Amino acid sequence: MDSDHKFLMTRIAGGDKQALAALYRALERPVYRFIVSRLNDPHEANDILHDVFMDVWRSAGRFEGRSKVQTWIFGIAYRKSIDAMRKRGRMDLTDETVEMVDDSPDAVTCLAAGQEAEHVRHCLETLKDDHKSAITLAFYQDMTYGEIAEVAGVPEGTIKTRIFHAKKLLLRCLSGRVERGVAR
Amino acid sequence: MTRDDLNALLPFYANGTLEGAELAALETALAADGDLRAELAALRAIRDTMQSEEVQSPGDLGLARLMRDVTAEASPETAPPAASDNVVPLTRLRLWQVAAALVLAVGLGLNLLPDAGRRAPQIDAAMSDSPAPAAVPGFALASGGIADFTVIFAPDATEAAIRALLLEAGVEITGGPSALGLYGLGLLESGTDDAARGVLAASEIIDDLQ
Repeated sequence: MDSDHKFLMTRIAGGDKQALAALYRALERPVYRFIVSRLNDPHEANDILHDVFMDVWRSAGRFEGRSKVQTWIFGIAYRKSIDAMRKRGRMDLTDETVEMVDDSPDAVTCLAAGQEAEHVRHCLETLKDDHKSAITLAFYQDMTYGEIAEVAGVPEGTIKTRIFHAKKLLLRCLSGRVERGVAR
Repeated sequence: MTRDDLNALLPFYANGTLEGAELAALETALAADGDLRAELAALRAIRDTMQSEEVQSPGDLGLARLMRDVTAEASPETAPPAASDNVVPLTRLRLWQVAAALVLAVGLGLNLLPDAGRRAPQIDAAMSDSPAPAAVPGFALASGGIADFTVIFAPDATEAAIRALLLEAGVEITGGPSALGLYGLGLLESGTDDAARGVLAASEIIDDLQ
């Protein structure tokens, strides 16, 4: 798959618009999903997705092939999302962990009890951006922690820490919702 | 490797990306630790839930926009004019509104070249934000044309409902939306003015009809 993407990148660097269209079709949906999960605004995510692929068009010649194309593009999307959040004044700039009120052990029961998507969506929204991004890339995109570190531009250890806290908070939130019988 | 280390790797076991010594260490820990196995089950359930969520991405509309801008960038002389302050950028419109315009333009064989002489004045504002469709063959949006009616769709109207209504009324979207959300509708060959007006006026998804 990545060799196909790298081939397309070479063509794009040569000015091949059809190659750009092919790469867009291959990656548009996961990149969009990542952006919208961070911004929670489909319209803004639409614009940022567009900007990401415009950057791909303009910068394809600078892609050196040392990483996966997907990781490189997600990195662009990650940085553009941060810019957008900074403009909104909605950026958490530290790795400090906020403990959640929700707290009980039985997250599995929660997910077996129905309305899983609602619960997960709600609890993801309670996470700070760094944590949410790490979980999103791990679970939506099935990335390795090394790839997530590359996307976010931080050491692998930082990603492991973020994932550790994000997972803990997510499970607590889900369990808490079940214990309280929250329907939505 | 500490328990916290193993715990941090659990999501990567759940997504199947763990390898080598870390994979072996975690499998050993899982075999001996029921709590870890329960947490793994929860993480897998969360991952499955997240992956099963449908996302309405821009799709072909986004590709059309990308190709338009790439083409414009490659040929500066064909670049679209800058948007004026009183125009809602096409990119910020609700997706279904743009989708409805595109679907109808393609599906009904809309003539994409604008007819400035007969265009409803309210629609003009939206036109100035769009490039000449003919400049990017195969990637044009329906953004201009003849308007026999001007309407505002209800905010909660779905693309499917709009499409069904337009087909029933025998009209197509010929322009818009303007900054105020106005759409221009043109009669299809099979439609008549009175019949179309009656259908549109009776519809619950039309907030305003002129």
